[in-house]
Amino acid sequence: MRKAVNKGRQQGPLTASRVLKICLALSALLIVTVVFSLMTGTAKVTWSQWWTLFTGNAGVSDPTRLVILRIRLPRVMLAGLSGFSLSLGGVVFQALLRNPLADPFILGVSSGSAFGAVLGIMLGLSFGLGIPVMAFGGALLTMYIVLILGRKRMGMESSTILLSGVIINAFFTAIIMFFITTATDDRLHTMLFWLYGDLSQSNFAESALTGPAVLAGFVVLYCFATHLNLMTAGEEEALHLGVDVRKAKLVCFLVVSLIVGLVVAFSGLIGFVGLVIPHMARMAFGSDHRLLMPVSALGGAIFLIAADTVARTVISPSELPVGVITAFLGAPFFIYLLRKRGSRWTGS
Amino acid sequence: MDRILSLKGVGFRFGPEWALRDISVDVAPGELVGVLGPNGSGKSTLLKVADGILQPHEGEAFLKERSLGDYTRADVAREVAMVPQENHFRFAFSSLEVVLMGRFVHMGLFQFEGEQDMAVALDAMEATRCNELTERPIDELSGGEKQRVMLARALAQEPKLILLDEPTSFLDLRFKKEIFELLSSLKKERGLSLMIVSHDIDLSARYCDRIILLDRGSVYAEGRPEEVLTAQNVEAVYRCPVTVDKNPATGSTRVSII
Repeated sequence: MRKAVNKGRQQGPLTASRVLKICLALSALLIVTVVFSLMTGTAKVTWSQWWTLFTGNAGVSDPTRLVILRIRLPRVMLAGLSGFSLSLGGVVFQALLRNPLADPFILGVSSGSAFGAVLGIMLGLSFGLGIPVMAFGGALLTMYIVLILGRKRMGMESSTILLSGVIINAFFTAIIMFFITTATDDRLHTMLFWLYGDLSQSNFAESALTGPAVLAGFVVLYCFATHLNLMTAGEEEALHLGVDVRKAKLVCFLVVSLIVGLVVAFSGLIGFVGLVIPHMARMAFGSDHRLLMPVSALGGAIFLIAADTVARTVISPSELPVGVITAFLGAPFFIYLLRKRGSRWTGS
Repeated sequence: MDRILSLKGVGFRFGPEWALRDISVDVAPGELVGVLGPNGSGKSTLLKVADGILQPHEGEAFLKERSLGDYTRADVAREVAMVPQENHFRFAFSSLEVVLMGRFVHMGLFQFEGEQDMAVALDAMEATRCNELTERPIDELSGGEKQRVMLARALAQEPKLILLDEPTSFLDLRFKKEIFELLSSLKKERGLSLMIVSHDIDLSARYCDRIILLDRGSVYAEGRPEEVLTAQNVEAVYRCPVTVDKNPATGSTRVSII
């Protein structure tokens, strides 16, 4: 028992250099995953082709260059950014709500953006940035409603916020079901792909838009890493120890909802990343958020790039929504975790 | 000498019900004050007002002669530490990590513990005799061990005043005494002010410099233990017949239920 609990924890407190070392190692793994993903697909890329492409020499045929740079690279980038944000959002929400089942969608961002997207598809806005704009608008709308509902008495009570999220989710799901049952065939297909998470429509502009926002969001959230550590011991405890709980909560809720709403607008609802990756990271590296946050974010990026690579190759030349892969891998893994660890939610 | 804490005519209500009414209480530097009173008499509410977590609806609370309302949470935490009755940690933090949580308000922007923070934390753990527990997960400790760690965390905040909310409730006889001994020595060695809410009347009488006896949200009696803890006062407040005499071994006031 002792051994299991102490696994993954080193002696003494966490140091900045340890965080840096682990992050560098994970970044290296991320780069390997990206390279592997770029090489894999219906059109095969050989090492020599890769090398000539990388060194900028001629000799790579235009179609290959096109496939790698114009089709696969934007998709890999968006997958990475989505995985990064979803997993980071999961860690933060699990700490804020002190709930192991919290994921970045728990406050209704998912159903809100889904409502926006489905409405956009119904209205025939499936061109340019029409759907993402509608989805992001939906996410902002739900976030606003949930925070207004949850802003009761002493700041924001977690249980009230959680309940508001659940109710908003239920409400929007009903509307989405209504849209789906009345949709025509071609629109239905677009809707279902969006609802299960789909990265096939990615382009560079999307990553250029989301990338800086996601990184800025990470920096802001990381400033609250120790606040989150203390808040997992209880909100009143955190107040005693000098944390401005109200401010920390508000900033974290807002930033997570914004970056998650942003990636969801482009990639659709990709489940399980925000749930499974934070728990894996916690098992491997302990529950200190100064390490847990970057590890989860990078882990999420690696996982989603890998999952998307599977999604576009497993039934090649056709492809699956990436959400199918993440749920397919995530659900059994989660059951395994639950059986192995029981209901206890002790991090490391 | 200046006062660390000063409540002036403080009233606090939950909805329409007054939990505290017209409370005026002072705590001087290097003083161990016991707050006694039956369940629901407002003891815990009093501590929360003293810590600035609850803002009084009437009167005002002062910390070092400055209104508590003007302090940020971090400012308060540099002066006041709280030891809760019981604590449930959701994650398996080690005892040292829990004590280092007390350093939060002293750490810089990047929030990584430096040598100074480690030194203060280890010193605090030594002072509360839990330095062998550093690597033990907090949720695997016994009640007595856990409270010593929580007390070390309070010391790591380097406060002037430590508030304790029934820290001995779940402890057996030996650990109860140990906690009171510890508080007494912290007072003497570090000049700390301590305010402890407790149901242990005899131990409070023995170790506290001053007792505040609360009844239904108001101060019923206040003063030296032997002055406050008379049979008449205790019976009136706790609504239970008692006899009061001196403990022959220690000479301190002893209250026995009849």
